[in-house]
Amino acid sequence: MAGESRAVAGNGRAAATGKQERNEVFVEYTKSICPVCKVVVDAQVNIRGNKVYLRKRCRVHGPFEALVYGDAQAYVASARFNKPGTIPLTFQTEVREGCPSDCGLCPEHKQHACLGIIEVNTNCNLDCPICFADSGHQPDGYAITPEQCERMLDAFVASEGVAEVVMFSGGEPTIHKNILGFIDAAQARPVRNVTLNTNGIRLAADKAFAAALGERNSRQGTVNIYLQFDGLDERSHREIRGRDLREIKRRALDNCAGAGLTVTLVAAVERGLNEHELGDIIEFGLAHPAVRSVSFQPVTHSGRHRQFDPLTRLTNSDVIELIAAQRPSWFREDDFFPVPCCFPACRSVTYLLTEGTPGQPGFGVVPIPRLIQVEDYLDYVSNRVVPDFAVREALEKLWSASAFMGTVTTEEKLRAAANSLNCADACGVNLPGAVANLTQRAFMIVVQDFQDPYTLNVRQLMKCCVVEITPDGRLIPFCAYNSVGYREQVREQMSGVRIADVVPNATELQPLLAESPYGSKIARGQHRPGNGHRTAEATNVGRRAVPPAGRPQEMRP
Amino acid sequence: MTVEPAAASAEVKACCAAAYSRDAVALLLGESYHPGGLALTRRLAHALGLQPGWRVVDAASGPGTTARLLAADYAVTVDGVELGESAVERARSAADEAGLSSRAQFHRGDAEHLPLPDAIADVVICECAFCTFPDKAAAAAEFARVLRPGGRVGITDVTVEHGLPPQLRTLAAWVACIADARPVAQYVDILTNAGLATVSIEQHDDAIAQMVEQIEARLTVLRMSAAGRLAAAGVNVDTVLRYTALARQAVAEGLIGYCMLVAQKPA
Repeated sequence: MAGESRAVAGNGRAAATGKQERNEVFVEYTKSICPVCKVVVDAQVNIRGNKVYLRKRCRVHGPFEALVYGDAQAYVASARFNKPGTIPLTFQTEVREGCPSDCGLCPEHKQHACLGIIEVNTNCNLDCPICFADSGHQPDGYAITPEQCERMLDAFVASEGVAEVVMFSGGEPTIHKNILGFIDAAQARPVRNVTLNTNGIRLAADKAFAAALGERNSRQGTVNIYLQFDGLDERSHREIRGRDLREIKRRALDNCAGAGLTVTLVAAVERGLNEHELGDIIEFGLAHPAVRSVSFQPVTHSGRHRQFDPLTRLTNSDVIELIAAQRPSWFREDDFFPVPCCFPACRSVTYLLTEGTPGQPGFGVVPIPRLIQVEDYLDYVSNRVVPDFAVREALEKLWSASAFMGTVTTEEKLRAAANSLNCADACGVNLPGAVANLTQRAFMIVVQDFQDPYTLNVRQLMKCCVVEITPDGRLIPFCAYNSVGYREQVREQMSGVRIADVVPNATELQPLLAESPYGSKIARGQHRPGNGHRTAEATNVGRRAVPPAGRPQEMRP
Repeated sequence: MTVEPAAASAEVKACCAAAYSRDAVALLLGESYHPGGLALTRRLAHALGLQPGWRVVDAASGPGTTARLLAADYAVTVDGVELGESAVERARSAADEAGLSSRAQFHRGDAEHLPLPDAIADVVICECAFCTFPDKAAAAAEFARVLRPGGRVGITDVTVEHGLPPQLRTLAAWVACIADARPVAQYVDILTNAGLATVSIEQHDDAIAQMVEQIEARLTVLRMSAAGRLAAAGVNVDTVLRYTALARQAVAEGLIGYCMLVAQKPA
């Protein structure tokens, strides 16, 4: 019984002092991938010291563990905010190998796509030290053609019927020569809103471009801007973007305001770099006429990024704690609620009603969850009866990955949510009516922790509602696209250049890492895929759990 | 809201309680609001041991959210009694829409004179309303009357221990909900005098702290959106916000609290 004695030796370092307690609570069994070779492996989620960790073991590369949520109580409590998914009109793939090998969407996927992303190119006018897309001034790569864009839009519309939001991204989408045509192609289809994900360089320099977007924003659907904006300190810019872009961001924002474009400031947040600036970014956004929301995203450790420790990375709850700590008179942690359309641990959102300008007399801010009992509507486990289903429907659209400020849907639903402030027309003031008039001053704050090869949990992935639309017409959940190898696959197909699997730049992996041609890290000796080892899958092993009696199964390696 | 000095007097309090403060509470909290929300309602249902098929009376049922929750989740039949006619109508149509009209019925009436026969209810519940009843003894006697022998009453309500701090008494005249709140022991006495023996008491002071915060949030929004009309109505938001800050402090010091109380009629 060699195996048994090994197991005892492994756990029972205290044979002399008797049995010991484990130092963690085992809460989930799931699947993930090896961050080095991307082989699918079993994984477990454990709670230790009020923090949530995902742990897995690759037969070749050994054990890996990463922090996935900094507040275990909040993680457990968030499970109630889980909405039954909606089945898309079509699936693009079939179930063969199981998640995450069949993307997508495969018929086992639990949610339709709230947001579809089209990456129009791999080239960029920046070479940021942090870029999950591994983009930049590069000799190879690809840019999609108008025909490809139309096919991608058609695939998305076939799946969604009426699509709420398409995001054009890259690379840097504003340097694609056809970007305005792509937006027109989206607006020619049943796509309610278009969001342009940009670093702002062209918007800062090219007022005619901003005006062309503004003109498209005043059509039936809206166009709004998702502006990379990591902070106000010069150091944050230099460390995250490689140069000081502060003046460019200011000019881009002013040109957006001039063109009537609504902007979301999008901050990649990294420990030790710009985590101290969250309150300042919100305050800056509240003061700028073009800005109606801020999205904080802990840096996704896919693609290019700085060296990091997976055990101390930032998570959603850490970001929320930092926001509350940096602006305690505006926010509490419980002003944020999980988004129920995706997996609730992935994204949290709050909305504010504001008055005046921060720093000036008369400024006021009220988080909407202090006015509405959000949990009475969005806790799907406890509530079979909700006070008002129209209000639930409104809150579902607001607490959604498809919610962007400036869209007709979001404005409508903010007004509808105001109806839950049901009160008589007391003291001559009709509160729902008054609040509905305030929705032009509403402000959204999103906290979204995208998964990376360390944190990937198929339980979350299977309900992901943010998809990358690929040129061959697949809809691949965003975190699968970035973590599992689909990004490398698509770039290789599109550019004709071999692309090695990107490996996270984790401190513990340094001895294994080599530089890729794009600045990201790859495994040593892995410049070409297929050079590496092959590992038997640890999961879906395709044989009985216990060999039939008398027929000893082949020993596993 | 600056309150006339005379409003502090007991007579004014009594006559204002029904009308003026009801409006103010609706303005600041919404009429279906009660501290602790649906989660505390479920906790109360659990403490009462609701069984499928039981008949429940909800005294001051507002727009019927609790009645629908109990009917749907606990398979009980609910008689909601509510003073406000429009609330009764809305409760009926919401129950209808939810397909619950056979199990959630609503009656216009006063908790001090429940329009229901003797001994019909397995359970009476009353959420954040008992403290607003001018004649609490009469309401308690009514609860006892409609309960079957062995039936239980479940109350969640504001408590005020050792009287309110002086600075808060003017606010109290304005929000009747706090004005006539009593110490837990007095609620127990009122129920005991009506023949209802208290079997459990739980404190849920967080719920009242949240309520104060909600009042503050709504006031701030009112100031943003309708400052002129508020001023015309004699409401000085800054003054009220000073009161709510005091109220928050009183909650933190344990002077104002929220309790869940279950009492039983002898079998």
